[in-house]
Amino acid sequence: MTGTTKIVLAGEGGQGIQTIAKVITEVAAKQNFQVSYIPVFGVEQRGTPSVALIILSHDKIFYPRFEKADYVVALQKRAVASVKSYITEKTKVVFDSSTISIKDLPTSAIHRFGIPATQIATEQFTAKAFNLIVTGKLSQVLGLDEDHIWQKIEKLLGKKFKTAEIKEKSHQAYLFGRKFVFELKRFSRPLFQPSTDKIIIKNDEKLAQIYPERCKGCGLCIVKCPVGALKFSDTLGVFATPVPEIDLEKCIACGNCFRFCPDGAIAVEKNKKKK
Amino acid sequence: MVEKLYMTGNEAAVRGAVDAGAKIMFGYPITPATEILEGWIAKTVTDKSLQYLQSEDEVASGFGVLGAVAGGAKAFSASAGIGHVLMQDPISMAENMRLPFVGIMMQRGGPSTGTVNFSQQEVNLAIHGGNGDSFRIVYSASSVEDMYELVIKAFNAAWKYRFPTFVLGDGYLGKMKSTVEFKKPLKPVEAKPILSESGKPMWLRNCFSSEEELNTLLNNHIVDWEKNKSKIVESETFHTNGARYLIVAHGLVASAAKETVLKMRSERIRIGLFRPITLNPFDGEALRTAARSAKHIFIVESAYGQLGKIAKAELAGHNIKTKISQISKPAEGYTPEEILAEIKKHNK
Amino acid sequence: MLNTMPKSWNIESKPHLFCPGCGHGIILKQLGFAIDSLGLQKEITMGVDIGCSLLAWDFLDVPTIQTHHGRTTPLLVGYKLVKPKRIVISYMGDGAAWGIGLQNTIHAAYRNNPVTVIVINNENFAMTGGQASYTTLPGTITPTSPVGKPADLGSGFKGPELIRNVAHKDAFIARTTVTNPIHLLTTLKKAIMTQKENNNFALVEVLSICPTNWKTGAKASLDLASEMEKVYPIGEVK
Repeated sequence: MTGTTKIVLAGEGGQGIQTIAKVITEVAAKQNFQVSYIPVFGVEQRGTPSVALIILSHDKIFYPRFEKADYVVALQKRAVASVKSYITEKTKVVFDSSTISIKDLPTSAIHRFGIPATQIATEQFTAKAFNLIVTGKLSQVLGLDEDHIWQKIEKLLGKKFKTAEIKEKSHQAYLFGRKFVFELKRFSRPLFQPSTDKIIIKNDEKLAQIYPERCKGCGLCIVKCPVGALKFSDTLGVFATPVPEIDLEKCIACGNCFRFCPDGAIAVEKNKKKK
Repeated sequence: MVEKLYMTGNEAAVRGAVDAGAKIMFGYPITPATEILEGWIAKTVTDKSLQYLQSEDEVASGFGVLGAVAGGAKAFSASAGIGHVLMQDPISMAENMRLPFVGIMMQRGGPSTGTVNFSQQEVNLAIHGGNGDSFRIVYSASSVEDMYELVIKAFNAAWKYRFPTFVLGDGYLGKMKSTVEFKKPLKPVEAKPILSESGKPMWLRNCFSSEEELNTLLNNHIVDWEKNKSKIVESETFHTNGARYLIVAHGLVASAAKETVLKMRSERIRIGLFRPITLNPFDGEALRTAARSAKHIFIVESAYGQLGKIAKAELAGHNIKTKISQISKPAEGYTPEEILAEIKKHNK
Repeated sequence: MLNTMPKSWNIESKPHLFCPGCGHGIILKQLGFAIDSLGLQKEITMGVDIGCSLLAWDFLDVPTIQTHHGRTTPLLVGYKLVKPKRIVISYMGDGAAWGIGLQNTIHAAYRNNPVTVIVINNENFAMTGGQASYTTLPGTITPTSPVGKPADLGSGFKGPELIRNVAHKDAFIARTTVTNPIHLLTTLKKAIMTQKENNNFALVEVLSICPTNWKTGAKASLDLASEMEKVYPIGEVK
């Protein structure tokens, strides 16, 4: 690593973009880089793309913002639009190939590096560890010390590792990322994209409707269902969070899910007609 | 048609508000503006179409004004000194959202609670008191007549151009009783509902998530400001034809300076007065015209350069080689003789 | 096709920008149903504050204005004076109503201004990152109380009880909770009708949830809200 490296990280709010940025930059600062990091932020805590601008250099850095990036890391389809302007023909575009299709990348993205982090995390570790896989790979590319990075992850995210098992899986996910070889030509299929279709399920007695494009995966409906008819499915909502699925046989159409959903993403009704 | 009356500046302001079509006043007692609130409230007793609210503080007064204008009613407040400072919270919102806030600010000694008497120290506050780029119209009243006429102008300007608009007076003006002749009042501009209820709802906000959104909004404000500036500016020249010496003063100090000019002219000294009526936007063109023939300009104010900074900025870069002297007396008024003495001192 | 939303919700601003699991979404849903069932959509003007309530600026299909921190009520008081037939709803958080805007809340109640104030109490300054507020309980860890909120900063601000002391006897003052959407709905309806039918002041505090700043999942959030009822009792404050 010589000279100056400008990096843009972008994903969904709540995906841990700023945490990745903090981990990388704090370790880089200790490792004798000159470092600058600024989150691009608005009022919302969630619900809008989260973007981080990072500069690592051997020279003094005066200003945190820049026009064009050396690396653009896009971790969610919605975030691609936020980073398009930073891409030149020299930019290396790293993207989560399990959620973003090459077609979703701008034509200016010539150098593409795929890492199907969401798929790998969901299938081999824990779904939430996808950003640790990305952190692993990024830290390796930038020449940051493997152990220092993990120690920093432990320090910043330790409270989220609720069991020893989760902590171990997270560690393995990070190490997996460190060793991962980028997809250069053949990319994974973006099967983990957010769903936009309405989900309508009915049987003789009831009709249920779920809107993935509004669901934020908060889980209130699941908690408030008195008969356990709801659980998280593999379908992703627009904010890259899991959408619930309903077991219509168990459901008693009490209306709790409808009442508690803050987003108007679910409703169940008894059919009016009698058969 | 001319009506001859005898009243104080504060009474004239109330009369101006009524004739301007104001429907409601929000206020808080503060010297030397209190009589405006009391005078307005007295009007509401006999005229049931008028309303008032004595708010819990000046911040609440200001937001009450914003609520009323959102509802399409001409509304105003009057304050002074530290109350004027508190009101910057709602005024900043008016700046962002182009709400026709009208405020009558009777300057008193500052900073802090200073005196209740007099100053010209709230010029910076009236123009730049918010956390924006100061798109506010500020009139400076120099007489009891001005307190009437400029209040009506302020309501018209606020509702026509949609910038928060202020009339700066001071404690002497508020309390002095003067024989006055009011010209026929200007026709009031119509008030329209701002948060309209019919058709598609309006959603109004002043907070944005991205820099670009706010910058776009502000650029629109700039376009309107630049487009309308020349229609809004006003100033007065007094014996400036061929004047070799020029006094620049506003408000009541300008009225004292008029007496100074007359005295010095009677001693064959060719001196004149440039008096800005709008402090923001400022009639720079008229100032420069008056200044070109002068060899020495005297800026006189009861503040430390608040008017001077504006005037000097308007003169700079226009190849005007006149000597400029700043005469400052923060929080204390001048007699015409004192102005004369100061001018003579600076002219040595 | 099922209705998953109240009719008075502005569908163009959905999905909205509140966090996943935010109590605001639950409250605004019941508020929407209240407006629907009372048939008042065309009569309502709403004001929102700068906190998280800011995100409700285009939430309902009613004219809405966003104000400075704590200033929603005094603005709507002014508006109502010139537009007495409109039904005004002042929608703000606990930081706004019980802190910077407390003066304004008290005086609107004291004057019996016919406005309906809805205070969303999630025991923190949420929009700015979860700092301690007046309803945060002693011992709670927040960014401005890293070792726990000191007990000498107060044991939990009981706003509705304070307001009851200065309000007119016919004003409606109550507390409800997101954990009971049916009670929430009836309380909101009564608060609105107190203004419409009787021209009196109404204030409802709603115990809410903030999963993002509380760092709790769905169940823990609702449990915490239920716990809060021990300090902040539910029901009308008489």
